[in-house]
Amino acid sequence: MSESNCKCSGGGPGCSGSGGCGGHGHEGAHAPLTRRSFLRKSTLAASGIAALAASLAPLRELTDMPSLQEFVQKHYKELTPSDMEKALERIRGEVQRQYGLRPEIKDLKPMDGVEFVYCLNLTRCVGCRKCVHACVAENNQSRSPEIQYIRVLKMPNGTFDLERGDHDYKTESVPEKGAYYMPVQCHQCKNPPCVKVCPVDATWQEADGITVIDYDWCIGCRYCEAACPYWARRFNFAKPSVPKEKLNPNMAYLGNRPRPKGVVEKCHFCLQRTRAGRYPACLEVCPTGSRKFGNILDPASEVSYILRNKRVFVLKEEVGTLPRFFYYFDI
Amino acid sequence: MTILFAVTATALWRDVWGHPAAPSSAPLLDAQFTNTATLRMSAAELIRTGGDTSGLTCGSCHDEKKKPVSVHFNADGTIRLPEEHKDLVMQHGRNNHCFNCHDPSNLELLKTRDGTTLKVEEGTKLCGSCHGPTLRDWEAGIHGRATGFWDPRAGARVKADCTSCHDAHSPAFPPIKAAPGPNLFRASLAGAREGAH
Repeated sequence: MSESNCKCSGGGPGCSGSGGCGGHGHEGAHAPLTRRSFLRKSTLAASGIAALAASLAPLRELTDMPSLQEFVQKHYKELTPSDMEKALERIRGEVQRQYGLRPEIKDLKPMDGVEFVYCLNLTRCVGCRKCVHACVAENNQSRSPEIQYIRVLKMPNGTFDLERGDHDYKTESVPEKGAYYMPVQCHQCKNPPCVKVCPVDATWQEADGITVIDYDWCIGCRYCEAACPYWARRFNFAKPSVPKEKLNPNMAYLGNRPRPKGVVEKCHFCLQRTRAGRYPACLEVCPTGSRKFGNILDPASEVSYILRNKRVFVLKEEVGTLPRFFYYFDI
Repeated sequence: MTILFAVTATALWRDVWGHPAAPSSAPLLDAQFTNTATLRMSAAELIRTGGDTSGLTCGSCHDEKKKPVSVHFNADGTIRLPEEHKDLVMQHGRNNHCFNCHDPSNLELLKTRDGTTLKVEEGTKLCGSCHGPTLRDWEAGIHGRATGFWDPRAGARVKADCTSCHDAHSPAFPPIKAAPGPNLFRASLAGAREGAH
């Protein structure tokens, strides 16, 4: 309160109105209004309001507030086709305003009889990190602050101890002697801990095995980030910045559309590509052909061949996540 | 109290703390690290794309009918390359003889150990005549690069040839340049401060 010595029981000329005292019928509430007390109170009120207005001034600079339509939009699974068309149109408009181009955005659904599996050849990977950068370009990840879905670990030969992995190796030329390289990204688990902890069902597993995120539903609590044993999820601490001329206009609603600040994102097996039959961007760019991707339900697919014929293992098998991401050896 | 309010209002209005500086402009991705081209061009690719095939026209210098090619060896048993072929690096293990793979009677053809002659763009079959398990993996799309479409209903899968990645004379995959590693503070300090909230 403005007057610290004002007591409800005492009242007096300095006691300011009924504001702090709460009860009715007190003497102080009916103190006569003198010229002196009026001036004091009105100056106080005016300066208080001015301070409040000034402190709220930065709100006027907020430009990334969600639109009303985005704010009232339902959960992804409750959207009717016409709701989805409206949402896509809104996103098209937002991208057009921000980046000056109209994206090809679709809501791609899982395909029937398809379950995606990824296999990575540890014998062949040379640790060049091209996959990391192709992924950033394809999926419109923030360049500054930097967000990358793939981490390439340099591991000393003869161990699987992830504690000894180094993702910050700075060598110009790869591979180095005495080391092998293990890229880690979202493992699209069959038993995903990240989905279990989400308090608002903003992330879930789809029929083709891809765990997706509805960026309009995520509240940014980061529980999923903490739950993931592979450190696959990334949080947008700041508004993602993607140079206009580098924006990939081929987008999917649950995939690589631009994310707002304050939501989690992660690898989604490039669903804007893979649900259209293409290989993911990390596979396309890999110079050694270490990355293999396909439909595990198709016995003729590359990944089926690998699981049948190669020595395969999953990372952190003991945590029971049942990943759809397998590492294998050639020898 | 009034004075305190007035001072606060003035301070907030004048913005004495200043705004955090805008994050530095986003670093662009280096195109050399998002380039999906193969490491090198195989003979088949060169012919298909109309590239520089001058390295494949042996007949412009050699005429085997007039003068059969002879191979000379150093004292230690390694092959002595003539001046014209000094750009070749012979590091294919014990497979170090020209005519293990080239046909001496027609230099523009390849020849496997069992005598089958192959065109230069059919090099994959030649490699596979010794590297059986690798050929089997390659045919399944497991060894080497296979790009395009995983779903045959949507489009074709393109498999790279052996020599799109390997130099037949020195087939070990060479060391390549690594892309820069993660840098969580690539944003300016202001960006990092914004991130700390």
